Amino acid sequence: MSVHSGRDPQNDSATALEIDDLTVAYNSKPAIWDIDLRVPEGVLMAVIGPNGAGKSTLIKAALKLIPRAAGTVRFYGQPYEHVRGLVGYVPQRGSVDWDFPTTVLDVVSMGLYGRLGWIRRPGQSERESAMHALEQVGMQDFADRQISQLSGGQQQRTFLARALVQDARIYLMDEPFAAVDAVTERAIITILRELRARGKTVVVVHHDLQTAPEYFDWVTLLNVEIVATGPIATTFTPDNLRQTYGGRVAYLHEGQRIAGLEEE
Amino acid sequence: MVQLEELIIHLLLNFIAREDLNAFLRNPQHTATIVGSLIAVSGALLGTFLLLRGMSLTSDAISHTVLLGIVVAFILMGSVFGRHPDLSSGWLIVGAAAAGVATVLLTELIYRSGLVKQDAALGLAFPLLFAIAVILVSRVVSDVHLDEDAVMVGEIGVAWANTNSHCLDGCESVTITPEDPRAETTRQCTNCRDLGISPRDDKAEFTQICTNCGHYSPAQAWQAGFTGQEPVLVFWPKSITVMAVLTLLTLLAIVLFYKELKLSTFDPTLAAALGFRPTLLHYGLMVLVSLVAVGAFDAVGSILVVAFFIIPPAAAYLLTDRLPRMLLYSSLIGAAGAYTGYDLARGNLLGIADLSDILAALNNLFGLGLSERWDSSISASMVLMTFLFFLVAWTFSPKYGLVSTMLRRRNQRRSFDHQVVLGHIHHHQDSPAAGEELAVSTLYRHFRWTPAKMQRTLRQLRAGNLVQIDAGLVTLTERGETRAHQFRQTQLTNESVGE
Repeated sequence: MSVHSGRDPQNDSATALEIDDLTVAYNSKPAIWDIDLRVPEGVLMAVIGPNGAGKSTLIKAALKLIPRAAGTVRFYGQPYEHVRGLVGYVPQRGSVDWDFPTTVLDVVSMGLYGRLGWIRRPGQSERESAMHALEQVGMQDFADRQISQLSGGQQQRTFLARALVQDARIYLMDEPFAAVDAVTERAIITILRELRARGKTVVVVHHDLQTAPEYFDWVTLLNVEIVATGPIATTFTPDNLRQTYGGRVAYLHEGQRIAGLEEE
Repeated sequence: MVQLEELIIHLLLNFIAREDLNAFLRNPQHTATIVGSLIAVSGALLGTFLLLRGMSLTSDAISHTVLLGIVVAFILMGSVFGRHPDLSSGWLIVGAAAAGVATVLLTELIYRSGLVKQDAALGLAFPLLFAIAVILVSRVVSDVHLDEDAVMVGEIGVAWANTNSHCLDGCESVTITPEDPRAETTRQCTNCRDLGISPRDDKAEFTQICTNCGHYSPAQAWQAGFTGQEPVLVFWPKSITVMAVLTLLTLLAIVLFYKELKLSTFDPTLAAALGFRPTLLHYGLMVLVSLVAVGAFDAVGSILVVAFFIIPPAAAYLLTDRLPRMLLYSSLIGAAGAYTGYDLARGNLLGIADLSDILAALNNLFGLGLSERWDSSISASMVLMTFLFFLVAWTFSPKYGLVSTMLRRRNQRRSFDHQVVLGHIHHHQDSPAAGEELAVSTLYRHFRWTPAKMQRTLRQLRAGNLVQIDAGLVTLTERGETRAHQFRQTQLTNESVGE
């Protein structure tokens, strides 16, 4: 693994995630339609699109968490079932019950359950890995905290630590920046950049157009169908945004942000 | 099952004499308490996961629909194999498990249509299955021991009487044939009735019949005097075995699959992503719930079973923040409820009060003429006691109880009042308007408080050496200054996470 953040991922032959003809429908209404997507290894990619564009659906369908109407998904050339250990997943924070009677450390060690397999229990070494992951997200002092006592940002970091502990090659994250404070947001993006520096591929469902060009080097613009995908410098254009959001949002931000884009 | 009972009996006989064991088991209280505790423990363990999954009421549905499984298995056994199993038969248990899974499947089928909400789907599915069961019971299975009482509250009180007898020694069963010298024979007239004649009549014809022929179990053989040695028997209540096996099965499943159950309960999406099968675990849990429900059905009836699944975990949930402890506490609460519930049914409330005495006192006071013998449903009393324990947890839980919540709120309110006053003084004490803003006599107006509240707050602040009063003016002490400063720093800035 010698991919550096400076290297142009387009010339990298390795494809981390390859999606062909993927369609998912809820009650025969397509949520995502005929998606073809290649995510090169080593990129930090944002999936951007309006509400209801199918961003979360794309990630869930890739992981077979919801049934696919059509299409194939391959991670490193293999179906997901064969390479579960290579894929780390961070669900939306709101998808679980934070009143569940358990500790932060326990939630983080859940990331190791896949490696343990059925029946085997986590032991000392698993606790150490989990503790290490908590240190990475700056939450080591909260290890024994009941999870209901966490703030939103701390919950998100706990989830991130749970993904880190999986030591995957590609991470799929569903809105990790949703409703977190500025401190947490900076902490998360630092971790994401560290992951990229270590050659990991990171796919992030992202909402904030303001920060996208600063945070990510690759982008997929999605609105049920793929509008555009590629390096952020060439893909995150006013035209593409207008096409994704139907004109409104791109117009709103055109002055400040697209100008900023030219400098990147 | 029978071999298992023998194994347990032989094990127990190492510690206790046979006569004592029989006497122990023949005591209705012991058997009822053991069976009740086993139901409570297995129910509490499974109920903990149901509660955390937000599907406590599924246990209610399943405890009803297992009746359908029982009835269908009963009918099949009758028509296919020509024999009627009793309620602890293995086939009935298989039927019940199938009914439990069917309930959950049907509920999900209705829910997935997207036309009905989850709770309504459950409410549609289980009365349907239960109604079919009731009709089958009344139409098809007529002379069967499945009466309304059994369905309502069970018969844990007589669980001791339904036993398997295990013979340990002198186990000689005897079969008497007409040729046997011990056979007693008598003459019977074969044509008297047909001809309407007396046996004394000349035309009467006779045949020899044997009056004591047949098969004698060891106990019967001894009673009839065919054997010289009294057989050594242990009478083992069947429901103890059934519930013990179910409890062990539940324990085993939860110990083995603890990690998987926890993960799929907390975060089913991650469980699926990691390759654990949340759906499989879900149905596995439902099968266990059905098994325990059918095992408990016999003892406590289908309506009260649900209490054993819901109340102990609900109480434990208020007492701890850790899943392993929640499992332990809910089991203990369930078992304690079963144990003390038997006493309550006999009128003894936790050894504190005798309800018969209370009834007698009421009779004396008001002349009500109530029956003074308190003798009520055992299963219902067990539920009442379990609920009493829940009530205690609900009120007095150190962290989430009503009392501690009230105290915490009061303290928070008080400390906030303190901060408001400290902040006000801090803000004004060096300003030109200090004389007007900080006068003790009018300070309450600035907060729109009552003078009494102001007085109280100032008294508390002075007691804490946070403010001092000088010539009718309030000022902060050094300590008060620090406190006001600290508050501004910690509370009025944004949360800082982990740093």
